[in-house]
Amino acid sequence: MTAVTSTAPEPTATNPEVVYDVKDVTLRFGGVTSLNKVSLQMHRGEILAVIGPNGAGKTSLFNSLTGVYTPQEGSIMLAARKGDELTSILHDPRFYGARKSTATHLINRHGVARTFQNIRLFPALTALENIKVGVETRQKSGPVSAMLGMPWQRREERESTERAYELLRFVGLTARANDLAGALAYGEQRRLEIARALGTEPGVILLDEPAAGTNPAEKRELAELIRRINVEDNVSVLLIEHDMKLVMSIAHRLVVLNFGEKIAEGKPADIQRNPAVIAAYLGTTNDEPEAATTAQPEPNTTDLDSGPAAEGDES
Amino acid sequence: MRNSGLFNDHVKRLLGCLAGGVVLALMVGNQEGVQRDFGYAFRAAIFSPRLVVFLGFGLALFVAITYWSRISPYFVRPGARPLAAGAAAVVASYGLLHWTDSNQVTGGKLGALSSAVSGTDGISSFTRTFFGSVVPGTPWLLLVVVVALGVVSLVLRLPVLAWLAAGLGLLVGVWGYIAQSAVSDYLKTADHSTGAQVAILGYAAIASGCFVIARSQTDQADTVGFIERVFGWRPGFPLAVLGTAVGLVALLTATWFSPADRNPHLSGMTNLFSGEGLSAISSAYLSWLVWVIFVVALALAFAATYLSRQAFSWASIVIGLGAVVLTLTTMHEFSSIGGKSGFDGANGPWQNIGAGPWMLCGAFTMFAGAGWIALRQGRRVDPAAPTVVAKAGSNLNQVLIIVVLAGALFYPPTATQFWQTVIVAEIGIYVLLAIGLNVVVGWAGLLDLGFIAFYAIGSYTTAYLTGTLPIKPPDWLHLTPLAAIPFAIVICLLAGLALGAPTLRLRGDYLAIVTLGFGEIIRIVAVNADKVTNGPKGAFGIPQPVIHLGPIHIQWGQSALQFWYLLLVLIGVTVLLFNRLEHSRLGRAWAAIREDEVAAQATGINTTRVKLLAFAIGASTSGVAGVFFASQIGYINPDNFLLNNSILVVAYVVFGGMGSLPGAIAGAATLTWLPEFLKDQVPAEDRQMWIGAVILLMMIFRPAGLIPAKRRAAELSGFDGVKSAETVAVPAGEGM
Ligand SMILES: Nc1ncnc2c1ncn2[C@@H]1O[C@H](COP(=O)(O)OP(=O)(O)OP(=O)(O)O)[C@@H](O)[C@H]1O
Ligand SMILES: [Mg+2]
Repeated sequence: MTAVTSTAPEPTATNPEVVYDVKDVTLRFGGVTSLNKVSLQMHRGEILAVIGPNGAGKTSLFNSLTGVYTPQEGSIMLAARKGDELTSILHDPRFYGARKSTATHLINRHGVARTFQNIRLFPALTALENIKVGVETRQKSGPVSAMLGMPWQRREERESTERAYELLRFVGLTARANDLAGALAYGEQRRLEIARALGTEPGVILLDEPAAGTNPAEKRELAELIRRINVEDNVSVLLIEHDMKLVMSIAHRLVVLNFGEKIAEGKPADIQRNPAVIAAYLGTTNDEPEAATTAQPEPNTTDLDSGPAAEGDES
Repeated sequence: MRNSGLFNDHVKRLLGCLAGGVVLALMVGNQEGVQRDFGYAFRAAIFSPRLVVFLGFGLALFVAITYWSRISPYFVRPGARPLAAGAAAVVASYGLLHWTDSNQVTGGKLGALSSAVSGTDGISSFTRTFFGSVVPGTPWLLLVVVVALGVVSLVLRLPVLAWLAAGLGLLVGVWGYIAQSAVSDYLKTADHSTGAQVAILGYAAIASGCFVIARSQTDQADTVGFIERVFGWRPGFPLAVLGTAVGLVALLTATWFSPADRNPHLSGMTNLFSGEGLSAISSAYLSWLVWVIFVVALALAFAATYLSRQAFSWASIVIGLGAVVLTLTTMHEFSSIGGKSGFDGANGPWQNIGAGPWMLCGAFTMFAGAGWIALRQGRRVDPAAPTVVAKAGSNLNQVLIIVVLAGALFYPPTATQFWQTVIVAEIGIYVLLAIGLNVVVGWAGLLDLGFIAFYAIGSYTTAYLTGTLPIKPPDWLHLTPLAAIPFAIVICLLAGLALGAPTLRLRGDYLAIVTLGFGEIIRIVAVNADKVTNGPKGAFGIPQPVIHLGPIHIQWGQSALQFWYLLLVLIGVTVLLFNRLEHSRLGRAWAAIREDEVAAQATGINTTRVKLLAFAIGASTSGVAGVFFASQIGYINPDNFLLNNSILVVAYVVFGGMGSLPGAIAGAATLTWLPEFLKDQVPAEDRQMWIGAVILLMMIFRPAGLIPAKRRAAELSGFDGVKSAETVAVPAGEGM
């Protein structure tokens, strides 16, 4: 909410600025290949959705992008904030923590925030404190000034409280500020997690199934919220979501994964019509796309939604 | 079939309970056999009425378990729990605690005192009747009557009976208290026994329970709500009431000087010191001024808390603190006179003072505290918050803080020499250690089983810097113990980093084992590095702290009390600093990594740095404790720093409530106090058993600890209204 621009320009295809440049990334766990030569480009200011059936590798992709997992092959370049230059998160010391490997918290500091498929809040802290934790990772004051109650530390403390309240208002949780995060309702926890991520002033936010487990009304609010994050805050959004209605209504572009491979990429309308995607969702093989299209001549969102992969399970 | 299964269950349970009764009967009383009869203790337990009593216990327990579903509705009624707690307190005081310290009464418990008093003609019959000169076992009978009345009124909902029980309970409590003080006046001993005090408190609890029974007809007691209402009604008000009670006892019934010999109350002081050269102000103080000040301070405290006017609050604080100072100067003056004339073997000021003036200081502190609480009331709203933030329970906390502070300042001087040593060398030091460990274990969630190593490092650093180790420091680094504190902090900080850096990747059990190893390494190095640490013999003659600052010269070492006040300053500063730390950016970051390390990292927290800071800050606290320990006791050796001590500190933190600063203090204080306290009350062999029982009960009924951390209580008790498994944090590394 630093600057509220009234009309965020729809990212144009002519000369888009790249936020994430992923090339041929392969991630294996023993025998399981959860990402197989996946390449994609994310552009500044867009809402890019990643869809695919369960186990397709969507979360693995997120974890690779945030340094939780290190892919065996391929490269990932990042320029999260406007004006950053593209840097490899796998090979640049800027992203190395204590252990000479990519550190999650440094990726966050370079402007990438995320939420988790299974909500991961700090349940024993209040909603306000959860956000403050995020905001305060951008602050400077150390333990000694905190113990002595130095003026600059007090100022930072006040700033973080104010910012946290701003974010609570942004996601509509002001009334729950002093409730423990663990005691919030499910949908509220999802929004709180988004607010905490926003507190770190990201250029890119990665949302892993933010609508899972929420009711239709909450889903509409959430779609609105994501749009506002994208437009008002100028944050690029990478979104995993099983709810096709939601995805098709807010995403600018989609990437479809299946069995760790990218099978399609494009505008929502094109994806809806893509036979390979329909096949992946309906469980038919690619050899008989005809059958799929005849069965579903005009596949609409609801049909995709009610496919075998609808509603990811939370385990 | 089902019936017979149930019957079997009941038989088993009954047998279990009865067997438990037999075991208890064997445990109570003499444990050893005699030379000619090794079955002596066994027979004494089996062939005596004792067995019947304990079998009765077993039976009662069986009934309670079996019919619990029918009993429990009564137990949750308003007033039931204070009644039960009060009864338990009185039973403990009658059966367990000392009623006199006089060596004329063997054991000093109620039973022994009763039989001694009943046959002594020099004591008034009012007193003797309480101790059973007319009807043997009068105290117990009275207790049974009062409790029975209370229970009947609870079950049958008879307010009249409840009023009766409340009144009777108060009378009995007061009677016992007066009787006991009459006896101790007669026996002319400096009495530190706690029996009568605990009994009167127990009866007060019974009476308040009965009062609630008489007033409330609801089915479900709302204890928390009740406490919040009482303490939130007029913040600070309860403190003013407590101060009044303590002050009145101090002014009317407490000894002011020469306990054990002259025993004068305040009223007798003027007489005792007339013509002894007391200054005008002090003699005015002792004869009438103290009453004026007391009434003024009391009135201001009530006005401040009742009306919440800032002016009254400030006045109350100023008058209260001024009164403390005036009382202390008067005490200094009359005790100097006593010391000069060598009265009761005293040889200087501050000796031979009774409990009265100290209690009065406590009362004045409470009045000042009441004003302080009333003052804070007006400005508690978070300026950044758009809504008013209600802080439930904080009123109670503030009252507790003041009471603890008043106790810490003014109780130790009235304690016996033995207890003063315990307060310094056990309670105080372990409180400081627990505060330090709480940072690591409670806040950051890193289990450290080698914490005592830092204590050792602090102690040995002091020994080195004061030149008492085989290796000597360079001349310019030869320091007094107090000057060694910053060095010890820095060295322990570095040691904390040295331990932390290589072990940070470990979690939970693995970390615990490595820290345990670290603790042992430090100890073994201390044992074996003869040339550096003087091996198992340790360091001798570590000097005691001194301060030479311009006109101020303070030399520690004359009494444990001096050390206590030094320690109190150290603890107080640490608590203040750490309290701020807990609610700062770093404190929240610790909570975050403890709750969910993966999420914390993804939110941008440098977990390595944050964990290292926890280790370092915890370690440096421990180092300060080490400096204090070394310079207080004067000699150290590796045996002071055993694994056992590390584990004890962890136990204190857990017992008090992990992650709660007041909890760590309370836990350490309770568990270090308990064994010393039990020394007098139970046979030495049984001590561990009693401690074990206390810890066991605690973990069953309050698993989150004595004073649970706000940030952790919810973790253990679950979150209201949210039952879905999805909200449970997934352990790191799973299901991202
Ligand atoms: N830490 C891991 N160890 C082993 N295998 C893993 C690990 N993480 C993911 N996988 C495997 O990688 C594959 C992709 O999993 P991923 O969680 O990325 O799927 P997803 O697309 O997010 O599915 P969902 O829609 O169910 O969330 C799965 O086969 C999974 O079992
Ligand atoms: Mg997933």
